[in-house]
Amino acid sequence: MSEQFEPKIVAFVCNWCTYAGADLAGTSRTKYATNVSIIRFPCTGRIDFMLLMKAFENGADGIIVSGCHPNDCHYTSGNFHARRRWMVFRSLLDFMGFDTDRITFSWVSAAEGTKWANLVNDTTEKIREKGAFTEFKNLDYSNFEKINNDAITE
Amino acid sequence: MTPLQNKVAELFDNGTISLMIGFKSTNNKLPVPFFFESTSGVEELIFTPECKGNLAVYLHKPEVKQAKKIGLLANIATLRSLVQLTSENQLSDIEKTVITINTQNEVVVFENMEELEAYVQANFPEYTEEDKKLLEQLNAMTRAERWQYWTDQFSACVKCYACRAVCPMCYCSSCTVECNQPQWIKVSSETTGNLEWHTTRAMHLAGRCINCGECGRICPVGIPVHLLTAQMNLDIEKEFGAKTGFSCTSGYALNTFKPGDKEQFIK
Amino acid sequence: MEIKNIKSSDIPAFFDQLIKSGKVVIAPVLKKSGKVFFEAVQSYNQVATDYIQTGFSAKSVVFPKVEVLFSFHKTEEGIEIKDSITNIPETVVWGLRPCDGSAFNYMTEFFLRENPDAYYAARKDKTTLIAVSCAKADEACFCTSVDLNPGSTSGSDILLTLMGEDTYVEVMTDKGKAAIDTSTSLFTVSEEKNKEEYLAKIDVRFSMDEIKEKIKTSYDSAEWKNESMGCFGCGACAFSCPTCTCFDIQDEGTQNKGLRLRCWDACGFGLFTKHNSGHNPRKNQTERRRQRLMHKFKYSVENLGIVSCVGCGRCIRVCPAHLNIFENILSVTK
Repeated sequence: MSEQFEPKIVAFVCNWCTYAGADLAGTSRTKYATNVSIIRFPCTGRIDFMLLMKAFENGADGIIVSGCHPNDCHYTSGNFHARRRWMVFRSLLDFMGFDTDRITFSWVSAAEGTKWANLVNDTTEKIREKGAFTEFKNLDYSNFEKINNDAITE
Repeated sequence: MTPLQNKVAELFDNGTISLMIGFKSTNNKLPVPFFFESTSGVEELIFTPECKGNLAVYLHKPEVKQAKKIGLLANIATLRSLVQLTSENQLSDIEKTVITINTQNEVVVFENMEELEAYVQANFPEYTEEDKKLLEQLNAMTRAERWQYWTDQFSACVKCYACRAVCPMCYCSSCTVECNQPQWIKVSSETTGNLEWHTTRAMHLAGRCINCGECGRICPVGIPVHLLTAQMNLDIEKEFGAKTGFSCTSGYALNTFKPGDKEQFIK
Repeated sequence: MEIKNIKSSDIPAFFDQLIKSGKVVIAPVLKKSGKVFFEAVQSYNQVATDYIQTGFSAKSVVFPKVEVLFSFHKTEEGIEIKDSITNIPETVVWGLRPCDGSAFNYMTEFFLRENPDAYYAARKDKTTLIAVSCAKADEACFCTSVDLNPGSTSGSDILLTLMGEDTYVEVMTDKGKAAIDTSTSLFTVSEEKNKEEYLAKIDVRFSMDEIKEKIKTSYDSAEWKNESMGCFGCGACAFSCPTCTCFDIQDEGTQNKGLRLRCWDACGFGLFTKHNSGHNPRKNQTERRRQRLMHKFKYSVENLGIVSCVGCGRCIRVCPAHLNIFENILSVTK
């Protein structure tokens, strides 16, 4: 039986809502996909779009970005700023031809342990179907550099 | 002397300006930015359609800021840059006199920023036909075709940072590319790293760029980088109603918000 | 030097034979942007012929914009280091201008004098330079002011000069001979001809001997400030220049696996000379631009005996502010 492709998902979450929600999923012994690595931020407003790009560059196949629901931000308005930033960033990625479906954005509160588990499961399945993210690995140096630099492989 | 040259000579004579930034001709017929501090330079001053540069960028130069009173020759793009820079509080330490030549070929010296802003709003430019066509073509492509297009373009980028250097809105004294702990933007020029750089540049300029198109015009390898920010500005105007380089008091779309901002993609 | 002749209509066949003989051929190609750049090609019909100068020089054949020096890999046994100057293919650069050919003289002197650079040596060794004389020039060209001319054979292995139905072929080196030998039937022996009427006429802007003298005392000229005010401090001039050889060393990867790279750098960047302490010996753009021009016209003459400017005009054409190097030089040496 061939091995199933296990996507690597990186989750950028805010400490006060989504991280607590994920914690709740844990204490409730909810089973969910183990493909996700969680990175905890004080607030989604702190998440820089460069971090998402770096995650893909370093091997992530999919990304989850999640925080407090609008009006519930622990710092009052961080998630409002984040929302605008993501709208613009997504638009840029789409314009450049990047597959924006590899990034899932969501609001998960501290009480939504089940929502978190479902989010991770759904995202894992979606990315598994899409396959590994190879677009960055496929890019290589311009044509005659490639010929002259055969040491640049992986 | 042309009316423009006469006017600038007058401004020097009555002490309104101590440094003039304009254009002059050179041997190879491409105009260069021209800086002069007295009427003796006035006869070389020109302002032809070939003078495409956006001179607002020089207002950030330490050597220019040292001058007490700066005169600046401005086309419509430069005027918009000045409006945008004013809304970002970047020009409050500079005493400037801004001069343009209007559509009736008259020399106009703006009394103050209100007058300048009114002129900009009355003459607000559209995207050029060429850019509109390119944006249409790109938006009509499939996502995969766009990816192919942009990665092909970025593979040629040599990281000369001319696009950053020529932009009046890129005035950070310590740019993100200069940070090496950690090295956010790779120094080496290869497609992924180049993509990182152009993404960062587009995001840092989204909602601030005034579409002068200089970055794309001067790119030594011919990448139309101005289209990235042009598309961003169109999207930002559509989503948030914000127009860049339009008002001296408008905020920046990405450091404000409305609780009612709507999107379709957050679960 | 051998002089030969080839029918101009046989040039494509000669070109295609070079490719068939297994060499990588780099030639000027017209891009969608309207600019011409050097790229590896598969046949003569990809080669651009109606242009004055390429956007960037061909120096990336011997000095790539990014070059892997070695790769490192931490294993249980220790650290494995793999050199990368292996398998460099036989390369032909076609369509260089005579100014670009001469630029290789400077680069060879710079990289191979005293402590020879193995990477440059390995690549140069495998590279054959086939230059084409200039029938046209524009206002940015000034090779005739730096002791060169549009038909100069300096630095190249072969120089082709189009003379109507015939092309005059000057073969300067053994490498050039080897290239000709891939298609001996296409070439006939020729007598020496005068290229003058087939070459572009380029105005002499200054006398290099005069400049070399005057520049010795221009360091403190007040004109440097005026001539540098328009400079933004980007790297466009340095990167497009056929003799600019400054580089930065960068490590990319993780602690366990990565590459050491040599990347193009430019003296126009503010960070170029900035020390860790925060002190910057060239703290403003005037000082940086002065350094660039003094290096080209004075320091490389003193250090290597060669003027490191070949008058190709690329810096003038790519500069976002259209700064003009020969006007600047004339101004500071007034």
